[in-house]
Amino acid sequence: MNGLRLLVTLVGLVLLWQAIVWLSGVPAFILPGPLLVAAALLDRWDLLLEQAAITAAEILGGMVLGVALGMASGAALVQFAPARRWLLPLLIASQAVPVFAIAPLLVLWLGYGMASKIAMATLVIFFPVAIAFYDGLRRADPAWLDLARTMDASNGAMLWQIRLPAALPALASGVRVAAAVAPIGAVVGEWVGASAGLGYLMTLSLARGQTALAFAALLVLSALGLALYFAADRILRGLVPWQAESVAADD
Amino acid sequence: MKRLILGAVLAALIALPAQAADKVTVVLDWFVNPDHAALIAARDQGFFAKHGLQVELIAPADPNIPLTMVAAGKADLAVSYEPVLAMQQDAGLPLQRVGTLIGQPLNTLIVLQDGPVKTLADLKGRKIGYSVGGFEDALVGAMLERVGLTIKDVTMVNVNFNLVAALKSHQVDAVVGGYRNFEMNELALDKQPGHAFLVEDNGIPKYAELILVQQSGGAFGKSDRLPRLLDALREATAWLKAHPDQGWTLFAKAGKELDTELNKLAWRDTIPLLADDPARQDAAQSAAFHAFLKARGLVKK
Amino acid sequence: MSSTPSIHAVSLRQARLVYDGVTLFDGLDLSLPQGRTTCLLGPSGVGKTSLLRLIAGLAAPEPPTQIAAHGAVAYMAQHDLLLPWLDVLENTVLGYRLRTKFPGAGDIEEKRRHAATLLTQLGLGHALHQRPATLSGGMRQRVALARTLLEDRPLILMDEPFSQLDAITRLELQDLAGRWLAGRTVLLITHDPLEALRLGHRILVMAGRPATLGQPIEPAGDTPRDPTDPAVLALQAELIARLRSAHSLTPGGRP
Repeated sequence: MNGLRLLVTLVGLVLLWQAIVWLSGVPAFILPGPLLVAAALLDRWDLLLEQAAITAAEILGGMVLGVALGMASGAALVQFAPARRWLLPLLIASQAVPVFAIAPLLVLWLGYGMASKIAMATLVIFFPVAIAFYDGLRRADPAWLDLARTMDASNGAMLWQIRLPAALPALASGVRVAAAVAPIGAVVGEWVGASAGLGYLMTLSLARGQTALAFAALLVLSALGLALYFAADRILRGLVPWQAESVAADD
Repeated sequence: MKRLILGAVLAALIALPAQAADKVTVVLDWFVNPDHAALIAARDQGFFAKHGLQVELIAPADPNIPLTMVAAGKADLAVSYEPVLAMQQDAGLPLQRVGTLIGQPLNTLIVLQDGPVKTLADLKGRKIGYSVGGFEDALVGAMLERVGLTIKDVTMVNVNFNLVAALKSHQVDAVVGGYRNFEMNELALDKQPGHAFLVEDNGIPKYAELILVQQSGGAFGKSDRLPRLLDALREATAWLKAHPDQGWTLFAKAGKELDTELNKLAWRDTIPLLADDPARQDAAQSAAFHAFLKARGLVKK
Repeated sequence: MSSTPSIHAVSLRQARLVYDGVTLFDGLDLSLPQGRTTCLLGPSGVGKTSLLRLIAGLAAPEPPTQIAAHGAVAYMAQHDLLLPWLDVLENTVLGYRLRTKFPGAGDIEEKRRHAATLLTQLGLGHALHQRPATLSGGMRQRVALARTLLEDRPLILMDEPFSQLDAITRLELQDLAGRWLAGRTVLLITHDPLEALRLGHRILVMAGRPATLGQPIEPAGDTPRDPTDPAVLALQAELIARLRSAHSLTPGGRP
């Protein structure tokens, strides 16, 4: 069962971590050992939970907006040739600019509240979704489209009934990537200007020399990211059940 | 052939310690700015060399790095702030203050002159921007309590290091963490003059804004480089105060990005604030400040 | 070949196709008699599929090609082309789904009932709500056959529909096809001479470049014919001989 393997992996990682701390003699203010971090986790769990809720809200907001925008962009690219000419290069350029550079701009435009963090997360998310969906829409088996044409299907029917469902597996892959990178967007947004959230807590703790708390916040953030990924995977497998059927199930 | 190489390496290694005695790495608190005048002058006007020192100045991208590097033994000295040092020492980092660059506060609470805030009491219900240093809450709290308010009467917004931008765009009504010699000049240059509430006039005990920190019990402390460095700094400071214009020319040449109108104005205001004797630490002042930090819960010990 | 169009469901005149600078055929004439199955054989790359696509409306005819086709077509390919996200029943009514403007409109419910009946008769009654991935190749091709039949179109075009199946499954599908395609106008492309003889009323061999259609072979008797019938086997020998010479006439083309 997946849970047991996960547990074993986690325990292994913790032991490795402790071993590194012991063997390298690195001071606690650079890399605290698992016991110190666990202590910080237990001691400040209410603070961590509170900040985690805020970051989680930013991430979820970013996911929803990012996936929606991504799907719209992907579909636009397939349907409209002008969109391909103008939008596609813009999309690609947007990914070349590091998020750190755009973050202060977003904060200036959208303020220091949650809006700018959601915007950051959206920016990071929508590209993998857009490209995956675009790719998926383009790759509908031409033989299916031939068949549809002999059945006198309209262009609209071909898009909605064939291209779209055919693109769902690719879209699902894009959404999985998005789920993995969503936390990055939210946290970068918090680093640039926030008074709340796990990213903010990390910066604050480090400024005060509370490295163990910073690492605890980092752990909670990782857990959030993992939870998001698995939840997304679960949902996607429910929405795209035929993708699973064609892949040999070995776990 | 192998023996020749081995011999050469050994010779170099033996020779190295003699070289290392003259080298010092100093991690600055932030990018080079007029607050570092004494260090720049000591390096570029030959005061360090006169004392047999070769000082490397490193500007960090992350303000948390200097103290961490010194505590880990990766650098000899760090430029830091008295409040931050206190908190890091409290968290157990092996650090120790050994010198002073600016022995008084530079920190202020700044508002726009034509803004809605004329006195501290006007801050009620307003937004105050800050960059994360770790003690803004305590600072602002102490200032507000003097006028009958508490920290809960204001909203603290982390604007990272864009203090002036946040103030000018009216995203916040006041900022804390801006310096009287720097951000105030920046606002003046932008034709949006600010009004500064000096922290030491508003409920905060005096402290040293810019200090030098070494690793306690570390190799640097055991060598004789520190007293020579402090001597060089003392001489450099005296020279700067006697020749501020020459000093500015020297500073502006130290890096292309340094020759700006803002730096020039800041320079003029900073030179009088430099500590005449970098080696001197006001024990009474430090104790009073530490007590303040303890009372506000920023340090436990 | 007759001048009375009512006898022929499709006639192709002066068909011309040039692909990549190579003339596949030029001045080709083909007529498909109504209600009969015409089988088309020939080496790979000779242009059989291109011809079929022309008739299906999937390729634009090059002048001076003239196509006179009566009505719409139903198309069945080598691969079942079942949509993996729809179950067997929905795949069978695919044409009606695609042509329905709004969900729930029209007579699609009735078509689903027809489909269920047809599928049951084809031996798939137990699999109506399974998805294609869970079916064997033979079962999937039977669904494709059901889909094709349900379209109820005047012309059925089949491009090597059973070539991906093993020998016995192929014979079974031929039995089914033979029964269910009776009375319909069919163009069947196949590589298998026995299949052509089992199912075809008229068998043509396409050969050469540019390709031509030789004299038709018209076996007697109803389809599906018995593969062990000596008359069928005799014709098979002739057909094989023709195919061999067709292979030597046609340069190795693209598949």
